[in-house]
This record gives sequence, C-alpha cells and structure tokens, in this order.
Amino acid sequence: MKKWKKYLSASLLTAVSAATLAACSKSSSSGTKQTLNWMTKSELQTLDLSKVTDATSLDQINNSMEGLYRLGKNSKVENALATRTEVSKDGKVWHFTLRKNAKWSNGDPVTAKDFVYSWRRTVDPKTASQYAYLFSGVKNADDVVAGKKKVESLGVKADDNQHLTVTLDRRIPYFKLLMGFGVFFPQNEHAVEKYGKNYGTSSKTMVYNGPFVSKGWTGSNLAWKLVKNKDYWDKSKVKLSKINYSVQKTPSTDYNLYQAGKLDAALLAPQATKQLKNQAGYTIRPASSTQYLQLNEKNKLFQNTDFRRALSLSVNRKALASAVGGANKPVTTFSPNSMTEVNGKDYTNLVKTAETDKLMTYNPTLAKSYWKKAQKALGKSKVNFTLLTYDDDDAKKAGEYLQSTIESNLKGVNVRVNNLPKKTVLVRGQNGNFDALLMGWQADFTDPISFLDLNTSNASYNWGKWANKEYDKYVAASKTTANENARFEDLAKAERVLLTEQGVVPLYQPAEAWMIRPTVKDVVYNGAGANYNFKYAYVEK
Amino acid sequence: MARYLLKRIFYMILTLLIVATVTFFLMKLMPGSPYANEAKMTLTQRQIMDQQYGLNKPIWQQYLIYIAGMLHGDFGTSFQYSNQPVASLIGARLGASVQLGLQALILGVVLGVIAGAIAAMRQGTWVDSTATVISILGKSVPNFVLAVLLQYYIGLKLGWFPIAGWGQFSQTIMPTIALAVGPFAETARFIRTSMVDTLSSDYIELGKAKGLSRMEVIRKHAMRNSMIPLVTLIGPYAVALMTGSMVIENIFNVPGIGEQFVKSILTNDYPTIMGITMVYCIGLVVILLITDIVYGLIDPRIRLDESEA
Repeated sequence: MKKWKKYLSASLLTAVSAATLAACSKSSSSGTKQTLNWMTKSELQTLDLSKVTDATSLDQINNSMEGLYRLGKNSKVENALATRTEVSKDGKVWHFTLRKNAKWSNGDPVTAKDFVYSWRRTVDPKTASQYAYLFSGVKNADDVVAGKKKVESLGVKADDNQHLTVTLDRRIPYFKLLMGFGVFFPQNEHAVEKYGKNYGTSSKTMVYNGPFVSKGWTGSNLAWKLVKNKDYWDKSKVKLSKINYSVQKTPSTDYNLYQAGKLDAALLAPQATKQLKNQAGYTIRPASSTQYLQLNEKNKLFQNTDFRRALSLSVNRKALASAVGGANKPVTTFSPNSMTEVNGKDYTNLVKTAETDKLMTYNPTLAKSYWKKAQKALGKSKVNFTLLTYDDDDAKKAGEYLQSTIESNLKGVNVRVNNLPKKTVLVRGQNGNFDALLMGWQADFTDPISFLDLNTSNASYNWGKWANKEYDKYVAASKTTANENARFEDLAKAERVLLTEQGVVPLYQPAEAWMIRPTVKDVVYNGAGANYNFKYAYVEK
Repeated sequence: MARYLLKRIFYMILTLLIVATVTFFLMKLMPGSPYANEAKMTLTQRQIMDQQYGLNKPIWQQYLIYIAGMLHGDFGTSFQYSNQPVASLIGARLGASVQLGLQALILGVVLGVIAGAIAAMRQGTWVDSTATVISILGKSVPNFVLAVLLQYYIGLKLGWFPIAGWGQFSQTIMPTIALAVGPFAETARFIRTSMVDTLSSDYIELGKAKGLSRMEVIRKHAMRNSMIPLVTLIGPYAVALMTGSMVIENIFNVPGIGEQFVKSILTNDYPTIMGITMVYCIGLVVILLITDIVYGLIDPRIRLDESEA
C-alpha cells in the first residue's frame, strides 16, 4: 500500500507539473496553408453590433465587419470605408466620403444610409444596446437613448449614398478612435429585417462587409471559422484564407493543443508564465486597464490626503503584481502604459514627474511619516477599514497582499478584506456602500480620457466621491481645445493632480501571457475595444 | 399502476412548480443586474434597460409573466446570448452533456458491477484488495486530475485520442473515462458490500445445496438481489452526470450545459438560470419515477399500487 501511494503521488506530481511545464513545441501543421488556428477564452455571444458587450464578439465583428476606419497597430487610425474626412473648424461637424466599391456579403453596396440605420438602431431604447452610452456627444444621442427624442433626431445624416455627415453636441477629440470601434460600424437594413430576431445569432443569419466572413457559428458552439471575404474591397491585402477559432477555457488544454500544433496561439496560466517566458513565441498582451483602489470620502479617514498618500507609499506595486501572478505590470500612473502615443512617446511619460513617481513608489519610511501626519489630523492612533474586492483568484491574492503590506507598514491601521461576488461589489460601489474598493477599469477606446473621465466630481463612476476643482478644470479644458498637444498636456496635468492627491490609488496593469507561434506575423493587437485585427496577418512559410 | 402513475405525475408537477417559484424569488434576491456593461452605464440608462426587459415591474408580476410563459413553452430570451431563446440554447448544449453522461454512466456502472462482483466472490484475496484500492482511488482522486493526466499522456504524448474538442466519437472517449471513474468506484464498492451480504444469505446456501452451479447461484440469485440498492444510487447519479460537469467540459472543450449554468448565475442571466434549473428538476423527478418503477420490476416484493394503498 505504501509503495502504491508513493508511486501514485510521484506520478501525479510529475504529470501535473509536466502538463504545465512541458515545452518542446512541435512544428506547426498550418505553416504552409495560410490557415491560422486561434483561440479565445469565452464564447461568441452575438454578431449583432447593436447588442454586443463582450470581447470575443467585438473581435469577430472587427474582423468580419468594417466601419469608417480600421484600427491598426497602437490604435493607429486607417481609412477603411471612409476615403476622405473633413471636419468643421469647431470640430462639431464631420463629413465623410465613402468608397464606392464596398459591398455586403448579400451583394448590396455599403452606403451612408447603412451608417444612419445602424446608429439609429443602436441608440433606439427599444434595442437596449449596452454600448449606447458611447454615442454621448453625437447630437441628441443622450436624449434619444433616454427616450426623450426620436431616433430620427440623432446627428447622423446620409447626404447621398457616398456622403455621410455627423453632427456633434461638442467636440470629441477621440472621435476617430470611436469610428474604429465595432459599435459604430454600418448595418444592412435588409439583413436586419430579413433575419428579424435571429439577426446576428448565428453565422448564417448575418451579412458581412469586412475582411472575413464568419462560418459555422451556430449560436452557442465552441468552434467556428473566419473565412476570407471574396467581396471585400481590399481583399488583395488579406493573406489568410481561414482562421479556425475555438473557445478554450483551460490553459493547460490550450497549451497542450499548441504543443500538438493544433493551435497557433495559447493563453498561458499565470503559474506557467515564469517557466515559459524565455521561449520563442512568449508574448505579453497588456490590457488598456488599471486595477486601483477607490477610497470612499464619506469616511473621514479617506478625506485625509496624507492617509491616502500613506496607503499608496505602503504598497510595493511590483511585489503586488507578481503576487497576483501572470504578466501583470506595476503602474506609476492611472492611465495604463502602451495605450496612447503622443509624438512617438508613451502618454504616461508626459504625466510622470519626480513628485508623482515619489508618491507611486514603495517607500515605507515616507509612508510612515504621512501616516503620522494623518494620525495627528485625525486625532486617532488606530484606524480600521474594510477593503472590498471581487471573489475571483486575482482579487483575493491582491486583497491579501494589500492587507498585509498596509498593516505591516502603517502600524495602527487594521484592514479587513471582504471578498464578494462581482455583481454584489458593483451594487455596493454604486451605492457608495464601502470603505476602500479594489477594482479595475477597462477602456473602450485607447485614449487617456477614458480613464480620466472616471474621477471628475460628477462622474457616475466616481463612487468614492473624491472631488478636486483643479482636476475637473483640466479635464474640461482638454475637451474644448482643438490643439492635440495642448489637449494631452491638459490631460497629463489632470492626471498629475490625481496622483499627487492620490484621489484613487492606481496599483497594476493586468496583462496576459500568450504563446504565439513565431511564424505568425502581423496580427494587430490593441488593449482596448476589439483586441485583434487579422486583416494583414499571415503565416510565414 | 395507472392510478399510482397519475398520482406521481401530479406530485411531479407540484414539485416543479414549487422549485420554479422558490428559484425565481431566490434568484431575484441576487444583487446586480443582468447587464454585462453594468458598471459603465449610468443609472438612467439602467432604468431604461430595465423598462425594455420588464425588470422594472414588481417581482410578483415578473413571476406571473414568467410562469405564464413557461406554461406556454416559452422560457424567455437569454441576456448573455443576445436574442437567443433559452430553450434553443439549452437544447444545443444539453445534447453533449447527456451523451457524455450516459456513456460515463454505462461504462462506470458496468465496470463497477463487474469489479464489485469479482471482489465479493473472491473476498479476502488479492483480487478483492486490488478492487478495493482501485475504487478508493477512484473515489478520492478528483476527476479533473485524471482528466488532465489523460489529456497530457494519452492525448498529447501518445496521440491516441484527440486532446480536446467535440464532434467525433473519439473526442468523447477521454472525458467519458474521466467522468466514469466516480460511478465506477461507487458502484464497485456498493456491489461488493451488497453481494458479500447476499452471498451469506440462507437462500444462497439453499441454492447451492440444491445443486445449482456457482455461476447460476451468482447470476440468478446473488446478482439480482445485490442490484436493488444500486438502483437508488444510479438515479441521482444519472441526473448529475447528464446535466454536465463544468470542469470536465472546460478541460475537453465540450459544449455542454454544466458551465452554462454556472455562468448564467454569475451573470444574473435570469431566464437561463430558470430554464436550466427546470431542466435539472424535470430530469430528477422523471428519473426518480423511473427508479421507483424499476424497483418494482427488480424486486417482486415491492408492489407500487399496494405501497400507495
């Protein structure tokens, strides 16, 4: 019996570790066929861009549909259906000229009317689109979404088949980025009406105008294909003839499939990243997302700026990111890294100063001195607060780490961690029913405003109710200036105020580690909106 | 028998109604909304969405609307999978889980009965000890560990079966084995105990004394009597297996119902939660009815009509 036990535990151990560690990738069987075998971690939920909410569906829409622009590397805006763009001096009226040779897969031409139809359909309260809020700023969009005005009053007009005019309520500096986001793509009215309730619920009940068409998705299955669209206006640039997509929910399975040559990309388990990081094909995919603490200013403790600073200084963000695991990166700004480039440099470089770096870098001594000041001001030597987090693995690890580092560096601070289901945390956050809340924000488009808008005094997402007039002023200024450099400077100033005051405490940027076969080239990845663009991708022979 | 069946069916409907009611109200106690973008929407937008989906109505009204729909065969539309009727979503996912569950049940129970019977017949020998060790291992090693091992060694290293996926019979073999270990271990243990008892009964001795061969005694008397307790075990096992295992389905990429259920709860997808709960519940009450009928067939001492009289 003892021998059995020994043998069993030894073989179990070897096998489990081998399953995660084993390397030696075999050569890809797909190397010569221009077929890509790709994976996604969750089901495709819809192809209807008025109904989309999830990343997998956004990716499928981005590759099988097309709008005015297509987003390239680093979210670079490229003309797609638009061949010419003219903007009025005040930035509120946009004229787009559309290409004549774009077709839907049912043979209809893609016209300006398809944009008008699509936008009206999305903002119509009857459609109940969860992305309708992105239209805010397009003339009358807020009122239409709220059911106060008719959809016909939305600021979008087809002058003729090839000319589209969009009128805005206010200047939207990132408008071009939005136009590259799936929710703003056109829709074919004939198809929507023909398929009715079934529109976008399977590959067959959909029409396409993008580089690929979807095949084989039945509504809830775990494997389907993107096949090159023969009617695509720019088909000569599309090199892949087929992308086999499959849903993979277990990292050990997808890595096994990668090793067997059945997948060209595999999402790695956090614990496998250390072992595989020196191998060819190891790729880090940072999300345009930041995990941070919202501190509730209803609680006197968090009204104290010195205490908020002490909290920030007591956290070793590098250790936190590695405690959570995977490929997460520590941050020194609120806007994440590698999201936006300003004059060829990362936007975060514009934000950072010696002062912000000092407050965002682990420094127990300085943390203690700020804590002492706070103790004096508060008239208390001991304080307690509850840290509310989700109940997933990452949040639990982060919660434990924060609790231990804060309690050991700030003597007299007692942290209780409360891990609750995501939906409960959201409700508590919205109701202001928390002390400190650990959560993440994922941008819809790669512009710092998608982060900085969260913390203005009246922002609906500012659950901690931190308010700073200077911050509000800079954010507002960024929205009125026509000069791009001045705009980024305003945003950077606002962010510096946020970091100096520690209105929120930014912690780390989530990132995923993947193995991607080195022969796969030119896959465009962006950390926000639709993640993947396969238009130019190919497999090297 | 007919009267008994009618009575049972009445109770089944009552059970289903109670389950539907309790689940509905419990589900509505869960915090949050079914909207994936909830955090990014303003309060007004959420209110408009609620209005569109009828979620602004009082819960009792929502309940009556749901029950009325259900009685007309309408289980509603999923929130996660936009515009997809819950009935077709469950239909598409249930097939794979039922197939895997049945295969695992048959494999596990048949092998379990054989192993248990052999162990009982060779009680106290090395055969018995080996069978016991195997069944203890089967009971204590979680099926997902076995699944990962099978996938790595049999799928990747030896390449005998596909690593994961769905659509060919060969892709069902490894998940079936992983799922069958539980019922195998349970059945083997059960049959062994039950048969050891039976084999020491007077009527077995009588059979032997009458000159029946060992195999005849086992086949005609010992086996049949030892199977009775097993029927109680198999019923709920069948439901549990056929309604899907989230972990095994995820490891082998099986498009089954197990994970759908968990995900629908995490995302507050109300119609899907109700739909899958009702399918589970119908499965359970039907299997329990079948179990009771099978009891009567196996054991002539149990007369359904009389037991109700």
